[in-house]
Amino acid sequence: MNRLFLVVFLLAAGLLLWRDPSAFLPALLRGAGNAVALCISLAAVYAIWLGFLQVARDAGLLAGMARGMRPLTARLFCTREPKALERIAVNLSANFLGMGGAATPAGREAMRLLGASERAEYARSMLFVVNCSGLQFLPTTVLSLRAQAGAANAYDIILPALLAALCALLIGAGLTALAYRRRA
Amino acid sequence: MTWAARILPLLFAGVFLFAAMRRVKVYDSFASGASEALPLLRSLFPYVAAVLVLAELFEASGLSARLQEALAPAFSMLGIPREVAPLVLIKPFSGSGSMALLSDLYAAYGPDSYIARCASVIYASGETIFYISAIYFAGVKMRRPALPVAIALISNLAAFAVGCLLCRIL
Repeated sequence: MNRLFLVVFLLAAGLLLWRDPSAFLPALLRGAGNAVALCISLAAVYAIWLGFLQVARDAGLLAGMARGMRPLTARLFCTREPKALERIAVNLSANFLGMGGAATPAGREAMRLLGASERAEYARSMLFVVNCSGLQFLPTTVLSLRAQAGAANAYDIILPALLAALCALLIGAGLTALAYRRRA
Repeated sequence: MTWAARILPLLFAGVFLFAAMRRVKVYDSFASGASEALPLLRSLFPYVAAVLVLAELFEASGLSARLQEALAPAFSMLGIPREVAPLVLIKPFSGSGSMALLSDLYAAYGPDSYIARCASVIYASGETIFYISAIYFAGVKMRRPALPVAIALISNLAAFAVGCLLCRIL
């Protein structure tokens, strides 16, 4: 990420220097301004979901859910730590249901908790790659955008989108397992 | 979509009711969970800012446009139409940027066109990889930080190729 940031930044700065130097600072400020706006709206979203998740946790619902998903998650992430597995279960199901606001805080906490596990690097990469596959039961944003634009059948992209995301998931998980396989 | 709109209120009410029956102090519990929101964002903000600044520079400098030109042949080999190439490039950086592009594509080609269907599938099956990596790996020490990002990029690109193919045959 450090290298990517530097390369893209320098290339972009170089191009701007030559084309339109006065656009440089406004672009930076626009980006940072977007971040401020995003974080303010995220503060509201996270407050709601973190509160909701805490209630579900205190009621013992999350532990139950984590137990249900344990056969899958414990194997995929090579860890038995119940706290980490609970966060992962929340993260995966929230992603699948399209509740990004609940998925991110849980994913962050899972990342932190996975640090204690034996194969931390592998487990963290796997969690990240799985999160990047965008597998979602109903891609609500696209559906509502398409319906707004007056599509005749807004729903006909659900199946290809689901299959494509599944494909990303399988390829990503497979490559991760391969890249971090234990040396025999 | 009326049934879908009912899911959230039902979920919240159901969980809160269940918690109350288990003698959880729902108000205190909700507040203690919500109290973590601001510290979380405080730790994420610098990384989010860095990625979004980068996304803005990427667009404003014309780097994105050049990369699209350069990569168009590779994309067409994968069966990804060149009209959606900008979406493929901006998606890893920024969710709101790619959403704006998606609306533009709907407006330009009509929401039922092949281009629009491809774009929808790419938007839905792709993820904001650099943004997610900034958030998930913020403050996490990794020995090889580029490896998972590379894997995610490859698997997303493969998914786009499959998605565009599926749009043609389904």
